[in-house]
Amino acid sequence: MTKIGLEIHCQLTKLESKLFCTCKANYREFEPNTNICPICMGLPGSLPRLNQKAVEKATMIAMALNCNTPEKIAFFRKNYFYPDLPKNFQITQLNVYGDTTVGGTGTLMVGEKKIRITRIQLEEDPGRLIYEGSSEKNQITLVDYNRAGTPLVEIVTEPDFENPKEVREFLNILSDLLENLDVSDPSLEGAMRADANVSIEGGNKVEIKNIGSFHDLEKAVHFEITRQQSLHSRDIPIIQETRHWDDKRKITVSSRSKEEDLDYRYFLEGDIPWIKINEETKEKLKTEMPESISSKKQRYITKYNIPTQVAEVLSSDKFYSNLFENAHTKENAKEVANIITTDLMGLVDTREKRADSKLKPSHLKEIADSIQSGKITRNSAKNALYEIVKMGGSLSDIITKLDLGNITTESELSKIIELTISEEPLAVEQAKSNPQTINFLVGKVMQKTKGKADPKLTLDLLKKMI
Amino acid sequence: MDIKISALQFTREVKSGNLSAEEFMAKTLEQIQKVEEKLHAFLSLNDNALKQAKEIDKKIKLGQKIGKCFGMPISIKDNICIKDTKTTCASKMLENFVAPYDATVITKLKQQDAIFVGKVNLDEFAMGLTTEFSAYGPSRNPWNTDYVPGGSSGGSAVSVSAFECVASLGSDTGGSVRNPASFCSTVGYKPTYGLISRYGLISYANSIEQIGPLTRTVEDTAFMLNLISGIDSNDDTTVDNHGEDYLKNIDSGIEGKKIGIIKEMIGDGIDPAVLSATKDAISKLEGLGAKCEEMSLDMVKYSVAAYYTITATEAGSNLARYDNLRYGYDFSVEGYEFNSYIEKARKKLGPEVTRRMILGGFVPSAGHAGKYFLKALKVKNKLTRQINDAFKKFDLLIAPTVPILPFKIGEKIDDPVALFLVDINTVTANLTGKPAISIPFAISHGLPIGIQLIANSMDDKLLLQAAHALEKTVKLPEVPI
Amino acid sequence: MVTQKEIQHVAKLMKIELIDPSIYERVDKMLGYFDILDSAGVESEEIIFREIPITNLREDKYIPYNEKLIEKLNHYKGTYVRAPKMV
Repeated sequence: MTKIGLEIHCQLTKLESKLFCTCKANYREFEPNTNICPICMGLPGSLPRLNQKAVEKATMIAMALNCNTPEKIAFFRKNYFYPDLPKNFQITQLNVYGDTTVGGTGTLMVGEKKIRITRIQLEEDPGRLIYEGSSEKNQITLVDYNRAGTPLVEIVTEPDFENPKEVREFLNILSDLLENLDVSDPSLEGAMRADANVSIEGGNKVEIKNIGSFHDLEKAVHFEITRQQSLHSRDIPIIQETRHWDDKRKITVSSRSKEEDLDYRYFLEGDIPWIKINEETKEKLKTEMPESISSKKQRYITKYNIPTQVAEVLSSDKFYSNLFENAHTKENAKEVANIITTDLMGLVDTREKRADSKLKPSHLKEIADSIQSGKITRNSAKNALYEIVKMGGSLSDIITKLDLGNITTESELSKIIELTISEEPLAVEQAKSNPQTINFLVGKVMQKTKGKADPKLTLDLLKKMI
Repeated sequence: MDIKISALQFTREVKSGNLSAEEFMAKTLEQIQKVEEKLHAFLSLNDNALKQAKEIDKKIKLGQKIGKCFGMPISIKDNICIKDTKTTCASKMLENFVAPYDATVITKLKQQDAIFVGKVNLDEFAMGLTTEFSAYGPSRNPWNTDYVPGGSSGGSAVSVSAFECVASLGSDTGGSVRNPASFCSTVGYKPTYGLISRYGLISYANSIEQIGPLTRTVEDTAFMLNLISGIDSNDDTTVDNHGEDYLKNIDSGIEGKKIGIIKEMIGDGIDPAVLSATKDAISKLEGLGAKCEEMSLDMVKYSVAAYYTITATEAGSNLARYDNLRYGYDFSVEGYEFNSYIEKARKKLGPEVTRRMILGGFVPSAGHAGKYFLKALKVKNKLTRQINDAFKKFDLLIAPTVPILPFKIGEKIDDPVALFLVDINTVTANLTGKPAISIPFAISHGLPIGIQLIANSMDDKLLLQAAHALEKTVKLPEVPI
Repeated sequence: MVTQKEIQHVAKLMKIELIDPSIYERVDKMLGYFDILDSAGVESEEIIFREIPITNLREDKYIPYNEKLIEKLNHYKGTYVRAPKMV
């Protein structure tokens, strides 16, 4: 049997400031080493100043993953030398003097399967090393400390996954959950990273590190399982070790054995007292937590009669569900859901497109209402949506500009139908003998009206007029 | 003009116009010129001190608003950051480190128009109790220059004792303020843990250390504490003292107070002169209406071992940042591999610091934490419970600050365990977070003896009242420099 | 009793180059003194620590550092800090 466990690191990118100082939590917009201060650079005499909201958001994550949340949390130092670590220790959390990490044991359902969470801890991200050129030629390493001290939540799971597919499904659900909680933007580069451990047939556990993306994680796990199976089938023992994912060759390679075994000498961080989180605070956090994805989905189905699949898509994506929440009325809910899941999804499928989109909830509402009142057809709505996402502006202007307004009067439509009948005598004859073929004429009318005619009215009129 | 005046006298005199801050500063600098060659209290001097004093006089003349220090010359231990000033920790590792910010205590004193006359000597990174481990050479005891001044805040104690400043700020990890205060016959104060912000104090063992003043009188200490204590958003471990005025009612006396005499601190190995001074202090306190009674804190026996285990562990981590990559001295990274570069760079750490790094790597390591570090934490906890119980019965505890007299330079430097035992009476206050003070009490064979009082957490005011009462019973000869 | 090999191992861990041969004896003596902890009888003791309420913590606010810290640092090349090569 294959057992896979995960350690997921998620940056709390939605926070304003770093974990222990007032530098920016989202370091991405800065020139190298300009988002730093004496605290995150570990200058002599500086002290950490814990960010209250980071503790609150991490606690929310723990609650959302059904974890135990302790009365008090503690911070520890993990000691090791590395150039990206300004203090040469990392402030993190552990459960050595009782349960003192932000989250204890919990669970997350992946379909019917229960994945157990071991613990959730709040810690600081290190800086970043930059290697220029090939590694052999590098005489030095360059360091950018902008990321140092970014609030990071580590989620550790039990080895409950049996195959890479389960891992992927779990990560998708988890990433939607974190986005929905409004703690992180998982689409930001490096905002979510994961290490995995893999064992087969009750054998030794192998850790895989250095995995750049969730996509690679699946591949790395797959590779590692295959590697271990191949060894196992030839009776070669699998050694307990740490392996690195080689991104170029798409294989895992054994990490060079270190000169000395690392010994992190964990001990309590004396600069941060234990933090009491009482029931009152926890209750308050619970009320502040955004509605969960599953609850949203259920609401969409029961309250608005939205089909299950549409409700699932809508609820699991924060961008879509936010649009929906702000655009829908009781009357147009189904229509709004429909527009988002059939027409909009293709237009804003990347992070950049979403950022550039000029679409506002008010647009969606107006489009849905216009469809329902028969002012525009679904087809025209799609064209209008495309235009609005790209250019913005008001719907009425776009209807005029693109001439999308419905041909609603019978007389106007009758003229066009008359013209079509005169142009297509053969088709008319055919339709008379075989009513099935009348759709050809409907199509011709639609062509002439650029899709603005109501298809039903057209059919009725055509039947009458031939 | 007399430079041998207390901080309160100084501020009164300058305020009333009887004394010019500039003149006083000039005299102080003159004194420094005169005695530094013998004593070596300072690592660097403030070139602008005189100019700053002149500004104070000008402000007074113009009737402008002025801070409570009135240009008082203060020395600062060189492990406390003053913006744009070298802060070396008496280490070659930081010989070029210029602090980019002020410690909170410095900010507060600047607001009160204190003038920092210079940065003073210490054992490298405050690890030691004689100031012999300074990378820039030892300081010497003004009472007898063959003798150590105590440490690690040796430069602070020497500068106050030898009139090179009016007051000083040191740091106390296991007695580093009280020990040199005792050896140099000044007042030395270690406040309740968290009473003074540590922001800007370069950490040695951050879970137990505090900044503390060294002054000529107990009143001066209360005055300094008024200026530098209180909660600080830059230090999450600070406590709120609600703007306590430690000077107010300082002469309340100690009538009816119960004082416990810590048996374990006057036992084996105590110098007879120290013991007799302690007995004398006890009878004086009784004369003032206090009730003294012997009591026991049996964990004191293990306190020094626990103290060195905890401090080595924290120091091993706190000093890990000195890898010379982001700040430090000139040493190119070119051509080195990471590990070998860091090892080479850290050769600038002195021998005592190096030894503590080894201890600090050993006692909390996976294979040894159970035997050493965890036990040390448990001793700390049990000692804290014992002393908390004691304070249910007693208002204060008493013991000599150091069980022995000052010793000669070089005498104990090669015997680490002998040095350990000098700390036996001071580390308890650090391990338990309690406030403690050393009061100059006697001179034996020309060498000072200090008496230590300890109070419960946040009873700093009571402690200062008792110390003030004891101090008034003492008349000591002037320092022979 | 701590062996030379153990001390060398710790030295590596702490990035300390052992130069002074007297260090073995001194460290051994110091550690030997710590053996006294074995007789303290504190096995059942708990570890406790200071506590503060969550409401005492820093507000989440971005305040950029007002100085160009990078210019005060050692070894910086353009905008990056230079570290030795990693193997």
